[in-house]
Amino acid sequence: MTTPLTLTPGVRPDGAALLTAAGEIDMSNTAALEAALESTPGPVVLDLTSVEYLDSAGLSVLFAHADHITLIANPLLTPVLTISGLADIATVHDGDLDAR
Amino acid sequence: MFAAEDEVGRDLALVDWRATPLGPPEEWPQSLQTAVSILLSSRFSMWMAWGPELTFFCNAAYRRDTLGRKYPWALGRPASEVWAEIWDDIGPRIDTVLATGKATWDEALLLFLERAGYPEESYHTFSYSPLRDDSGTVVGMLCVVSEETERVIGERRMATLRDLGSDPSVVRTEQEMLAFACRQLGRNPHDLPFTLTYLFQDGGGARLAGVTGISAGHPAAPLTLPADAPDAVWPATALARGESVIVPLDPASLDPAPLDPAPLDPASLDPAPLDPASLDRAPFAGLPAGGWPEPPTQALVVPLLQQGSAPYGFVVAALNRYRPLDEAYRGFIELAAGHVAAGVASARSYQAQQRRAEELAELDRAKTVFFSNISHEFRTPLTLIMGPVEELRGRLQGADAQVREELEVIRRNGLRLGKLVNTLLDFSRIEAGRMQASYEPVDLAAVTAELASLFRSAVDKAGLDFRVDCPPMDEPVYIDRGMWEKVMLNLLSNALKFTFEGAIGVTARREDDHAVVTVIDTGIGVPAEEVPRLFERFHRIENARSRSNEGSGIGLALVQELVGLHGGTISADSAEGAGTRFTIRLPYGSAHLPAEAITTAGTGAGATTADPYVEEALRWLPVDDTGEPTGDTMRMPSHDGSTAPARVLVADDNADMREYLVRLLQGAGYVVSTAGDGMEALDAVRADAPDLVVSDVMMPRLDGLSLVAALRSDPRTAAVPVVLLSARAGQEASIEGLQAGADDYLVKPFAAAELLARVRANMDMARLRQHQARWRSALVDSLQEAFFVCDEQGAVVEINSAFTDILGYGPEDLPYTPIHPWWPDAATDPAAHQQVADAFSGLLGPGQGSYTIPVTHRDGHRLWVSVTFNQAQDPDTGRHVVVGTFRDVTAEHYAIQRESALASLSTSLSQAGSLSDALTGALRELRSLWRARSVLAAVFDHGEEPTLTAAGESVDWHGLPGDRRRALTDLLRRPLLTPVADRDGVGILLEHPEGQLALWVDLGDHRPFTGEDQVLLSLLAGRLAQGLVRAHQIDQQRETAIALQRAILGPAQLPEGFAVRYEPATRPLEVGGDWYDTIALPGGRIGIVVGDCVGRGVEAAAVMGQLRSACRALLLQDDSPARVLMALDQFAAGVPGARCTTVFCAVLDPETGRLSYSSAGHPPGILALPDGSTGLLDGGRSVPLAVRPGATRPESETIIPARATLMLYTDGLVERRRRPLYSGIDQASQAVQDGRNVAVDDLATQVMIRLAPAGGYDDDVALLLYRHPAPLEMTFPAESSQLAPVRKALRSWLGQCDLPAQIVQNILVAAGEACANAIEHGHRHTPGDIVRLRAEASVDNLRLTVADTGRWKSPEPEANAHRGRGVALMRAMMQQVTITPGPYGTTVDMQMRIA
Repeated sequence: MTTPLTLTPGVRPDGAALLTAAGEIDMSNTAALEAALESTPGPVVLDLTSVEYLDSAGLSVLFAHADHITLIANPLLTPVLTISGLADIATVHDGDLDAR
Repeated sequence: MFAAEDEVGRDLALVDWRATPLGPPEEWPQSLQTAVSILLSSRFSMWMAWGPELTFFCNAAYRRDTLGRKYPWALGRPASEVWAEIWDDIGPRIDTVLATGKATWDEALLLFLERAGYPEESYHTFSYSPLRDDSGTVVGMLCVVSEETERVIGERRMATLRDLGSDPSVVRTEQEMLAFACRQLGRNPHDLPFTLTYLFQDGGGARLAGVTGISAGHPAAPLTLPADAPDAVWPATALARGESVIVPLDPASLDPAPLDPAPLDPASLDPAPLDPASLDRAPFAGLPAGGWPEPPTQALVVPLLQQGSAPYGFVVAALNRYRPLDEAYRGFIELAAGHVAAGVASARSYQAQQRRAEELAELDRAKTVFFSNISHEFRTPLTLIMGPVEELRGRLQGADAQVREELEVIRRNGLRLGKLVNTLLDFSRIEAGRMQASYEPVDLAAVTAELASLFRSAVDKAGLDFRVDCPPMDEPVYIDRGMWEKVMLNLLSNALKFTFEGAIGVTARREDDHAVVTVIDTGIGVPAEEVPRLFERFHRIENARSRSNEGSGIGLALVQELVGLHGGTISADSAEGAGTRFTIRLPYGSAHLPAEAITTAGTGAGATTADPYVEEALRWLPVDDTGEPTGDTMRMPSHDGSTAPARVLVADDNADMREYLVRLLQGAGYVVSTAGDGMEALDAVRADAPDLVVSDVMMPRLDGLSLVAALRSDPRTAAVPVVLLSARAGQEASIEGLQAGADDYLVKPFAAAELLARVRANMDMARLRQHQARWRSALVDSLQEAFFVCDEQGAVVEINSAFTDILGYGPEDLPYTPIHPWWPDAATDPAAHQQVADAFSGLLGPGQGSYTIPVTHRDGHRLWVSVTFNQAQDPDTGRHVVVGTFRDVTAEHYAIQRESALASLSTSLSQAGSLSDALTGALRELRSLWRARSVLAAVFDHGEEPTLTAAGESVDWHGLPGDRRRALTDLLRRPLLTPVADRDGVGILLEHPEGQLALWVDLGDHRPFTGEDQVLLSLLAGRLAQGLVRAHQIDQQRETAIALQRAILGPAQLPEGFAVRYEPATRPLEVGGDWYDTIALPGGRIGIVVGDCVGRGVEAAAVMGQLRSACRALLLQDDSPARVLMALDQFAAGVPGARCTTVFCAVLDPETGRLSYSSAGHPPGILALPDGSTGLLDGGRSVPLAVRPGATRPESETIIPARATLMLYTDGLVERRRRPLYSGIDQASQAVQDGRNVAVDDLATQVMIRLAPAGGYDDDVALLLYRHPAPLEMTFPAESSQLAPVRKALRSWLGQCDLPAQIVQNILVAAGEACANAIEHGHRHTPGDIVRLRAEASVDNLRLTVADTGRWKSPEPEANAHRGRGVALMRAMMQQVTITPGPYGTTVDMQMRIA
């Protein structure tokens, strides 16, 4: 069984590309995340507000795209992003999981 | 085994054991061999029975003491056959022992043994103890016996002898005395089924004077026995000669007809007519049986001996047919008869004294009459001769012998002349018709007998037999007493004078209308030609041999005159050398007498005195150094038992008085010694006590009263009679003298005759007392118990022969002053010494008491005696003394010691929980039993050196002194169970399940270890060996039992989060009825049950198994704990032994921690909360199972908070003696609380250890722990698709753990990284392998483990940054991360503090 993850491409009101992820991101579905990110050229805002889990495999994908993504993450993910150092090289905005 | 003892062992070896249920000895179990070895080697009397038929064994002592003729027949036979005759008595006792395993104890049980060819009365004190086989089952019994027949029978006989001597009245008539004696004899119908007492009659023959147990007049008890009748029932003739006779009491002995087994003769088909006479002559048919079921078969007839004379009579004592007539039995009967004889003697002597006293008064009056009547013409010249003669005798004391002898001649002849004058006066009166006769009606026989009795002493003293046969007459005879006295006295004096051997006899009989009195002697007789002249006045027969040349030849003439005055006649017939008979015939009635001289009975007075006659006669008899003539019936041996004349000590400071007294007493035949004052007298008496002391009151140094007091205060001289002489008159003085203890008191001046009379009377009294003393000492000596008298200081001053027999100390060394020589030595045996010292202080205290104490025989061996004592007052001195008896209870003591030692060893062994406990406990018992310094056991198992166990000192083999090691090793070469003693201890070898055990009892310095101790040691060692085998079996059983119980409880497929323990009780090593259970229920819930059945062992385990299964099934049907327990109530009501089982039943929802529960009387569950507090699950409580079947049970519900720990248990965990249950529960709560961070399985171990009592659990314990939530345990294939579900489960579990979301997230990340690594790296080449994840939370810690079967790559951040990132994340999320790579996989262990 593949970890549930939905990736929805969109456009932010400011016209920036938006990828909204919901579910969990682990080794089993990082390929999908990577594909989604690669299919969206240019800067992209990755909304992880509805992601409940993100492991190092997911982080690896994010690191690979760190230079052109902006992250919106809920507090649960903050420690992972901080500890991994992703927060240092990618822009991370706090997202409110509950506000979604 | 049989070689342990030669005698019985040899015969045991000859028994055909294959024919018995025991089979050949080489196949006997160890326990039987042990028992037989102990039996044979014991010196105590024992027998034992073993196996289904109770096959009989005994040892040599039993053979000797009890088995008798049944040996060796009895060996190997069924006990019921060996003791068929007493099986009714002992069979039930043996059954009891076999059924209950408890020993019996019987004291002095009467058994009729047929060991000597007849049923024998015997008494036995014995105990039956169970004998167990190798498996501990009772299969036989051991009887340790001590036969007490001698003691019981001895006591019974003693009681009779004591009763015989207990007559409180001083004087009795012969009839009263015999009646009393018969009452006492009659109270012992066992030793004396019946008795007859016959007294010989003067005219020959014997009359029945007393019976016991039979009625007078029974054919065997004729009222009279004719003299010299050969076919008399009892052989009176032999008895008259003083011989004892055994008479068989065959009921048919004189009655052959009914038992004649002659062949039938057709001609005499009619039964032979019974001869009535023959029936009459069958005196022994229908004899009474006394205290027994069957009449006696023998009687011992013993004479009533009279010293120096023919017996008074005899006693027929029917004998106890159940006892042999041995020396003791014969002695008893002789002592009893001796007492009757002494009673007859004293009754008769008392009667004679009474008579004599009356006669003396009568004579006194007669004397007065005589002297007032005598004319001056005769009296004056005689007085004028005798007066000066007496004067001269007094004044010429210092003169030479010849002068004094001549004076004696004058005096003697003066006396003789006086008597002659008086006789002449009678004649003159008769001739002058002035004889003032006064005829009164009297029983001539009685009067004659009385007169004759006056001569008895003289006749006896002459060595002659004196036979007075004067039965009462039916009609009075009128006589003048005075005259009749002269008649009789003259005739008797005459007879005595001419008779040197044989007898003198007096008879009185009625012959037609005359009373006939004869005086007969066996003297020299009178030549036929002299007979006609016998009655001539002054006729003397020349050259006749006589005791004296004195004689006027006038006596018989006077007799004839006096008889004539009574209207009677006298005749003589005589044969020279054969004897003489005088026959007086007096008519009855008064018609022949002058009417004016007739008076009524009792008014006439005797006219004369017997004294001159008797005194004269006595003077004929020798009083020289050769002693008194033999045959004096009244003579008693003096103190030293010889026949020397009585000795008198005269104490007076006045030499004249002293000499006067000496003369006077010597004249009366006494041997006299003198003392100048009281002190001298005291010394003399102490040096050699005389028969009597005559002492003045006023004396220098020590006066008479003080002398008496001093004599009385010394037991050796207390009995010496003292007559005091004093110038002080008046009653007060005499009372003072008598109070001081003087026997008599005379005031000076006193008449010589009075002094002599008093001396003689007191001598007689003393002899009577001595007789009593001799009786007393015979009685005391015949006591089987030792007897002693202690003075106030505790010195033993008197003992009997039993005392000497028991202790070895004889009367020759009396007194024994404390510390008595038989006390145990204070140096070598201080405890025993102290015991005796304690008893001794009790002895000197007031009152009475009894002790059982150890004493040392003179030859050094140890005895135990049971002492009973009482305070008493010495009747002679008034001092307090202690009178005591004791008996030898050594055998009893050791028997009891043996029993109790065996019992306490058995108890110790039975309580032992293991082989080593058994040995340690037994050594402790042995040590305390002998108060040993130490007791050491060396087990020569298969190690290099023996395994040591010690009580009293802790040592190892090399710490032992070399000689001790050697002694222990040497024991290995000894036979089993045979004690080996040396200087300071004793050793014994026995079997130990792991090898041979050498046991050493170190007694310390030279303590005695007696033969009894050795027997005891071998018994104990035997018991120990058996006990060790059992303990060994218990050890094995215990292991089996635990394995079994654990097997029942199962290698629990426990749900996660649970931990359980079961521990059987340390003692008595049995499984119990405690259980725990968990049941997986539908819906993921878990049923939890902890229960405790009543009882232990297999039964409880069986009940437990049924309840456990039932409870399981019920829970699967219904998830309400209360309803499950109610259903279980119904079930338990039908299972024996299930009632009162306590159960805690709960249903847990592991997701939520919701716990519903109900308790059937079970201790409350303990809940240790994460905040450090503790709660009890004490709701839902009701009674134990099946107590109230049908009653509704309550149910409670609680939520187990996350990371709380639940503990359920049985009461064995918390229940301790002398401690409230809650204190145990508190302790348990604390233990759980303290372990809240420890994994539950480790916590279970910690709790069991922490709560265990010092000696281990004494009840079994079941324990169940659950920590909520249960740890998460997952296994999944190493595929990335598994990550999400794993994460989901973990998230859910972490939710149960009640953790903050961020922490949950961190953990999820860390776990996810670990799992991802496992999938990605561990199983790169083998996808699908298994990864395990385990998460466990305690109160403040969370532990996560992820294990795979592969190899991780080392983190290489340079090459592969994101992979190293995973590990970094783990380390960042968790506080502790350990990655352990191994050849078969890698484990990641991560922990996080969560509180």
